[in-house]
Amino acid sequence: MKRWLLILLLPMVVGAQEDPGDGDVWSDDAWDDVAQSSRWSGFVEAGFGTRLDRDPLVSNRTTLEELRGRIESDWAPGRFAIKLRADGGYDGIDNDWFADVRDLTLSFTLGSDIDVKAGRQVQTWGTGDLVFLNDLFPKDFVSFFAGRDDEYLKAPSNALRISRFSSAVNIDVVWVPVFEPDNYLTGERFAFFSPAAGTTVAPDPPLSGVEPKESFSNGEFALRLYRTVEGREYALYAYRGFFKQPTALTASLEPTFAPLHAFGASLRRPAGIGLFNAEVSYYDSRDDRSGTDPRVPNDQFRALAGYEWEARTNFTVGLQYYLEWTLDHDALVANSPWPQYEPDEYRHLVTNRMTYRTDRDRFVWSWFTFLSPSDRDVHIRASLTYRYSDRWSLTGGVNGFGGRDAHTFFGQLEDASNAYLRVRYNR
Amino acid sequence: MIRMLVSVALVAMIAFDARADVLTDPNEIVARANLAAYYAGADGSAEVRMLISDVQDRRQRRQFTVLRRDIADGGDQQFLVVFSQPSDVRGTVFLVDKHIDRDDDRWLYLPGLDLVKRISAGDKRTSFVGAHYFYEDVSGRRPTEDTHELIETTDTAYVLRHVPIDVGSVEFGSYVTWIDRETFLPMKIEYTNPAGRLYRRVEVLEVATFDGHPTVTVSRVSDLSSGGRTDMQFRYIQYDIGLPADVFAERSLRNPPREWLQRPTD
Repeated sequence: MKRWLLILLLPMVVGAQEDPGDGDVWSDDAWDDVAQSSRWSGFVEAGFGTRLDRDPLVSNRTTLEELRGRIESDWAPGRFAIKLRADGGYDGIDNDWFADVRDLTLSFTLGSDIDVKAGRQVQTWGTGDLVFLNDLFPKDFVSFFAGRDDEYLKAPSNALRISRFSSAVNIDVVWVPVFEPDNYLTGERFAFFSPAAGTTVAPDPPLSGVEPKESFSNGEFALRLYRTVEGREYALYAYRGFFKQPTALTASLEPTFAPLHAFGASLRRPAGIGLFNAEVSYYDSRDDRSGTDPRVPNDQFRALAGYEWEARTNFTVGLQYYLEWTLDHDALVANSPWPQYEPDEYRHLVTNRMTYRTDRDRFVWSWFTFLSPSDRDVHIRASLTYRYSDRWSLTGGVNGFGGRDAHTFFGQLEDASNAYLRVRYNR
Repeated sequence: MIRMLVSVALVAMIAFDARADVLTDPNEIVARANLAAYYAGADGSAEVRMLISDVQDRRQRRQFTVLRRDIADGGDQQFLVVFSQPSDVRGTVFLVDKHIDRDDDRWLYLPGLDLVKRISAGDKRTSFVGAHYFYEDVSGRRPTEDTHELIETTDTAYVLRHVPIDVGSVEFGSYVTWIDRETFLPMKIEYTNPAGRLYRRVEVLEVATFDGHPTVTVSRVSDLSSGGRTDMQFRYIQYDIGLPADVFAERSLRNPPREWLQRPTD
């Protein structure tokens, strides 16, 4: 059964029809392409990924097996702007078709200094590199670990975003009426650790957290105040909503999302030969401020410091240190039914990014390490992207996981280590 | 009769002036060339497209609109570059605060992730979006980073040789520019590596005047060692359009300023 081979070849069939981008020379009408008020673009991508070892819990050895199409367009009727970006295709692991609208928004400007954007949208803020403190917009860890493009780490949510700009301070207010959790590990594609079972599990039906009832007060509210002064970027953040992973339990011991307030701040600025970033966030677990309720995660203080610089021509290095300090840790351990699986009071994480670009960015070699000396686990992301032309690109990579214990974030994924290949045809 | 004499005298003076106008100070020539090439008008906008060809003549293209605003002539500047082609970089926006007394601040907006990425100052002599042009070719190299020597004055051009002060910061050993004596636009630049071999050439192929500013409309950079090259064309060039400072801010990354990106209607 070489279905994946067929999948990888399909974009070539699509792409073989015509390839005007590569053969064509200057011609005056090409300028006019862009003048049209709406245009369509997109891509077809085939992806295939497989575990390096079998996972006894998950029958599928493949971690990525999909043919994906993207359409993208925007229109500007009058004062409004409409944007669409949507994926659809077939997922060979789910054995099903999928459709995924990543952006469908209506934007307009009120007065001169207020931008409004309503609809389904991907949002990102904060200063971390693949580490998020005050960015509580949904993440898709399944895509991230399966070898999809990094863009899929950020999942869309249905939101209203109002931004006000002024020389004193810029303000972003985001309202997500219906709570949108992360795309967390469910046991479908990747097994995860269950403290109740004391081991990694891949339940059938897969894990599904009980989401908060839909109501105004159960919506998510996110706020950012920010300002850039002489190249230094300052920001303050606030969030009211829920933990994005089902780390709490309901009264009937089903996984659910605990209510959360978060407050934080960040700074990003040039320093020496590179860029320095620092960010802090206080997670106020609204239902367990004393830390005594074993069903609800404790308050946390999170801090990040990072530095990125170009170590030599076309070679960029980034280092980050990240701390998760679980407050009232004694109370957590004292009340926990499984204290051995509770997080350490201090979870330390260091990351390292190395990016090397060669042949005028045709080749991008990327290496990213997450390493936690306290959890004793590691996640390595290595990839090579070859941009053959404006139409064709090829990405291959490895996602490696390891850890001493099965109950840590990356340790639970040890059997999920995988290698993947993606072919994309852009249009 | 007297009026005629005065006129003749005036004409003679102007002619004499023009001859006296031959500059001999290389620093002054470089300063004027820097202004002509990078600071025309108080601000400006243009659409740019690049055709990138490698040695096997495989081609890629880039198309973008660039907005520029000068904070001071010869001094700090702001740039906003909004990509429209090819499809995988469409919607990518590049914001630069160019500084004379410190490293530039650079941001890149990646629409797929909604990510405002900051780019460390680093080496400005690296490829600009895959082209044979460097970042520094696009936003300008500080005149104070090289020493300048006038090696020849031809009928049409000043020929100068430039040697970097910080040899370790650049890949070239020296470069020679041919600066047009009338427009002060650098019409040709040839880079020689530290071993003395010519390996890179930037040349202006067409110039046109917009709002009184002679402007490069077609140029080419050739990699003489690998054989690749990038052709660049400028269109829809406008100057002094009154770009406000707040266009060059994070707001424009997520929401590019449509009214300033539109093509002139004429």
